[in-house]
Amino acid sequence: MSGHPQFEEDFELYALGALDGDEKSALDRHLFACAECRARMEGARGRMSMLALSAPSVAPPDGVRERLIEQFRAEGPRESSDEPLVRSKVMQFRRSLWAPLWAAAAVLLLAAAAWFAVENRRLGAELAQLETTHQQLEESEQRLQAQTARAAAALDILTAPETVKVELTPVAARPVPHGKAFYNPSRGLLFYAANLRALPDDRIYELWLIPSEGAPIDAGIFNSDVRGNGEVILPALPPGLIAKAFAVTVERAGGVPAPTGPKVLIGPVS
Amino acid sequence: MEPITRQEHASRDADAGLIRRILNGDDTALGALYDRYGRLVYSVSLRILRDTGAAEEVLQDIFYQLWRVAGSFDFARGSLSSWLMVMARNRSIDRLRRRGLTVAENPVGALPPARFDLESDLARKEMVGRVRGALDALPEPQRKAMELAYFEGLTQSEIAEQTGDPLGTVKTRLRAALTSLRKVFGT
Repeated sequence: MSGHPQFEEDFELYALGALDGDEKSALDRHLFACAECRARMEGARGRMSMLALSAPSVAPPDGVRERLIEQFRAEGPRESSDEPLVRSKVMQFRRSLWAPLWAAAAVLLLAAAAWFAVENRRLGAELAQLETTHQQLEESEQRLQAQTARAAAALDILTAPETVKVELTPVAARPVPHGKAFYNPSRGLLFYAANLRALPDDRIYELWLIPSEGAPIDAGIFNSDVRGNGEVILPALPPGLIAKAFAVTVERAGGVPAPTGPKVLIGPVS
Repeated sequence: MEPITRQEHASRDADAGLIRRILNGDDTALGALYDRYGRLVYSVSLRILRDTGAAEEVLQDIFYQLWRVAGSFDFARGSLSSWLMVMARNRSIDRLRRRGLTVAENPVGALPPARFDLESDLARKEMVGRVRGALDALPEPQRKAMELAYFEGLTQSEIAEQTGDPLGTVKTRLRAALTSLRKVFGT
């Protein structure tokens, strides 16, 4: 999936579990990498959960609440699993002292309760162990799914036609600006430069002819193009000048009569 | 994260207080949570499973799970009611699929009228009415597609297979239904 899913329905369909096939796979991969869309998905899940309210309302059967609370009491964090059962049976026993028959039954109940408590504790331990194993397996599966999604997302980028490939080089290896001047005192000057960096709008390159005697002479201003190339072709120069060197400086837009800015290129006439 | 209303804040605070009490071993707190949400969980489960015994098992299972994971709830991220609604639906659909049941011959009739007092139990009367009203207002094919997705847990391809409609038509119906519902649920 390129970019963010455009429509909230994509998230809602996903939250419903209705999305499938390539659409689901693409959103899976996107969600893995996009925190913004994961937040949108949370919102969609919340909205979709409201559909539960459309179910016709029916009261649960009697007794469920009591069984649930009894289970909680039997396993609650503050009490050992057998205490509530034993205590309730002891109370029954006291209330029934006058009836030996009931007492015998109570003893039997106590024994049964104790047996159930021990069994309950053993099963509880087994259940806890199983749940721990289950949890570990689920975590392992989630890690594997995450790795798979990440690999798929990487492959998507590598194979997508709109992917751009950019080579990065160390700063020191960046192409160095250079220029070539072809000068004939009677015919004129041609100058070509390459690998120049782009200048801000208020700056421009200026070429200087440095004569054998006297101050540098303005030989033209130029900008670099998008590839860093620039040129000055046949600037107006006094005829017959003997050049000692050529130089390029960065000056304010429009050029200046005498060089003031930093030198970018310089080359003596050999 | 979506903004929540003052009423939702109050509800979350109350739920968070009950969860703290459960963590402290207060069994009356579990009963209080059951009183708040037991009917909702059971109703969703019964609607999906159409079997009172199975729905009761899901109900107990979810509250047992609630008790087990109570310490890990983060009320800053969501509400307990949403969690319970999602759990009720997911557990029931899991069970439905494990039973290998197919959707009943006439799985999606009109939504039954709200004959019970779920609303007063949850103090969500207005939202319940709006959700039901919004679903009732959908064109029949859209509502059918939505209910197959939500209550039967079918994917859009499975809905197409189930109804015999082209997949593209099912997708269009679901998206149109969701667009309408979003006006009720908010974005």
